[in-house]
Amino acid sequence: MTTALVVAVTVVAAALALAGIASTVARRRIGLLHLVLAGLLEALLLVQAVLAAVRLAGGWELPETATFLGYLAGALLLPVAGVLFSRTETTRWAGTVLAVPAATVSVMIWRLLQLWEAGSG
Amino acid sequence: MAEPTEVPAADAPRPAEGLGRVLVAVYAVFALAAGARAAVQLATRFSEAPMAYLLSALAAVVYVLATIGLARGGRSGRRTAFVACTVELTGVLVVGVLSLADPDAFPDETVWSGFGQGYGYVPLVLPVLGLLYLRAQGRAGRAEGQKSPPPKSPPKSPPPKSPPPS
Repeated sequence: MTTALVVAVTVVAAALALAGIASTVARRRIGLLHLVLAGLLEALLLVQAVLAAVRLAGGWELPETATFLGYLAGALLLPVAGVLFSRTETTRWAGTVLAVPAATVSVMIWRLLQLWEAGSG
Repeated sequence: MAEPTEVPAADAPRPAEGLGRVLVAVYAVFALAAGARAAVQLATRFSEAPMAYLLSALAAVVYVLATIGLARGGRSGRRTAFVACTVELTGVLVVGVLSLADPDAFPDETVWSGFGQGYGYVPLVLPVLGLLYLRAQGRAGRAEGQKSPPPKSPPKSPPPKSPPPS
């Protein structure tokens, strides 16, 4: 977990949420932009998860390991679930459906950082 | 009159679409969040605050039921979701008041503590939105059930998807 990556995740997640809301406002369905942003978000989250796993295996101690892993798994799941769910939505609300998990990830990642920095190693 | 043939049509599950799906998505996020939180709390430190952690688990179950009910739609789905949303609204109000009046009874946070302030008060707003949505859906369902036998699908054609000429 690094602050730089957390900021990057937040920026991409916010962009995805905005793109989703914009497509709803424009009465459009989601397009390539949304899928690219969601893919980028998932990739950043995976990098974050791998880095965290390496540090944890290397002896980084967390006061709340279970909570941290729960949040991490949830954050990894959300963009994928959001894309699958919004792809089956045929109205303009598909974008908002995708914006919900994106906004959630942008909040969760900071809570993850908080949990991470409470640790030591 | 023979058997009312339109009953199955009126009761057929109509999966959530459009705005309803946004609601389902938010509920799903909360089901995930509350479920994960309750699982961690119950597994790692149940004895510290059994009351708060059991409440967390109850909240998680309620969110899961509401998600499923809203997503499935139909009469039974709506009924499930209605009960879940009502329990949820009651829960967030009661726990909200109690957690402010007697903080010692809730040594650890639940989703509903302080009217859900830890979650941006979304837990307080969500059941209200859910109940409003269910009321609108119920009206649509009844209007459809009162229609004469020819099972006309609602004329809810989605807007044309062709991009506007620039």
